[in-house]
Amino acid sequence: MDSRVITITSGKGGVGKTTTTANLGTALAMQGKKVAVVDSDIGLRNLDAVLGLENRIVYDLVDVVEGQCRLRQALIKDKRMPDLYLLPAAQTRDKNAVNSVQMEQLCQQLRQEFDFVVIDSPAGIEQGFRNAIVGADEIIIVANPEMASVRDADRIIGLVEAAGKPEPRLILNRLRPEMVKRGDMMDVADVLEVLGIDLLGIIPEDEIIIVATNKGEPAVYDKRSRAGRAYLNAVQRLLGEEVPLTEVEEAPTLLERLRRLMGFGPALPEKRVRSQSS
Amino acid sequence: MGVFEFMVGRKKPTPGEMAKERLKVVLVHDRLKVNPEVLEMIRAEVLSVISRRLEVDEQQMQVLLTRENGADKLQTDVPIRRQKVKFDWDPPTYTPSSNVVRGRIHVEDDDEQ
Repeated sequence: MDSRVITITSGKGGVGKTTTTANLGTALAMQGKKVAVVDSDIGLRNLDAVLGLENRIVYDLVDVVEGQCRLRQALIKDKRMPDLYLLPAAQTRDKNAVNSVQMEQLCQQLRQEFDFVVIDSPAGIEQGFRNAIVGADEIIIVANPEMASVRDADRIIGLVEAAGKPEPRLILNRLRPEMVKRGDMMDVADVLEVLGIDLLGIIPEDEIIIVATNKGEPAVYDKRSRAGRAYLNAVQRLLGEEVPLTEVEEAPTLLERLRRLMGFGPALPEKRVRSQSS
Repeated sequence: MGVFEFMVGRKKPTPGEMAKERLKVVLVHDRLKVNPEVLEMIRAEVLSVISRRLEVDEQQMQVLLTRENGADKLQTDVPIRRQKVKFDWDPPTYTPSSNVVRGRIHVEDDDEQ
C-alpha cells in the first residue's frame, strides 16, 4: 500500500503547525483521500479543538501505544469528512510516555488503514520532535517570515537531514503581503534563499484562521478565504499537481483594486473576480 | 544586495532586508559553531597579511561569515587608503603568478568626495 506519512514540524512554537495539520488533513480528505491526523504533542493537546472534536475523546495515542485500547477505538471520526480521522494526544501524560520504536510501530499500523497520515509535531527539538518524525516519509516545515522562526527552521532542517529523512518542504505561514511590499517583512524569496529548501505553499496572514479555530472548522471549508485557498493549493502540490504560486498576489491594496476596476493595471486573477462579485 | 552595501552606509536597509542579512550571518555561526572570538582572530590575521603589501583602513575592515546561494562563506571587506597604496614588490620572490587576486578588492576613491 502506497500510503504517505507526513510530519508537520517547525522548531519554534506558535507558527501554525496545528492549524496547518488540520487544514492539510481536511483538504486531503476533501480530495477523497482517507486521512488520519495524529496529534503527537503529548501533554499539550490542541489539534482536537482546531478540528472541533474536543468533546468526543475517549482514548488517546498513549492508550493505543500502551495497549489499553485498540487503534480503531481511539480514532475519532470527523464531523464533516467521512474519511478523516483524528488520533488525539494524551493530555495528562508527559512527552516521555512514548518512545521512538512505539511511534514507528504506530505509523506502520496507521499505514494499513489510511492513504495519508499527517502528524502534528510538538515544538522543540527534543524527544517529542524525534518521535514525530521517526515514522515519516516526508517532512513539512512551517515557518513564519521572521528571524526566530526561520532560524529554528534551519535547525530543524539539519536535524531532519541527520535523521536520514528526505529534504523537507516549506510552508511559509502568516505572510503579510502589504508588509513585504513596504520592505518591513522578509519576502518569500529571502526565506527560501536562506533556508535552501523547496516551497510547498505560502499562507497569507488571515483573520479567518482565528475565526475558524473558534468555530472548530478548518479554514479550507471557506473556499473564499485567502488562507483557505492557499491551503487548498498547497494540498494540490502535495498531490503532485503543478499549481502556480498566486497567493501573495491575491491581496491587492485598495489603490490597486481601484485601478483594476477602472481598467488600468494587470487583469485580476479569475479567482479574485469571483470572490469579489459574490 | 550585499552585506557590505549596508555596512558601508551606501543604502539604508529596510527591516525586511535587515532580517535577511542578520539571519544569513547567524545561521552560518549556528552551523559552523564559530564564535566572535575566533572570527576576531581571523580578522587580525587577514589584516596582518594584507597590511604587508597595502595600506588598509583598519577601522573599516570587516570580516564575517555569511551564506549565499546555499554555500557558507567567509566574506571580507578591506578598504584601502588610496593615496598610500604602494606596490613595493619584493623582486626576488616576485613571480608573475603571485599577484593573482581572487575576489574583489574595494578601493576607496577619495577624489570623488
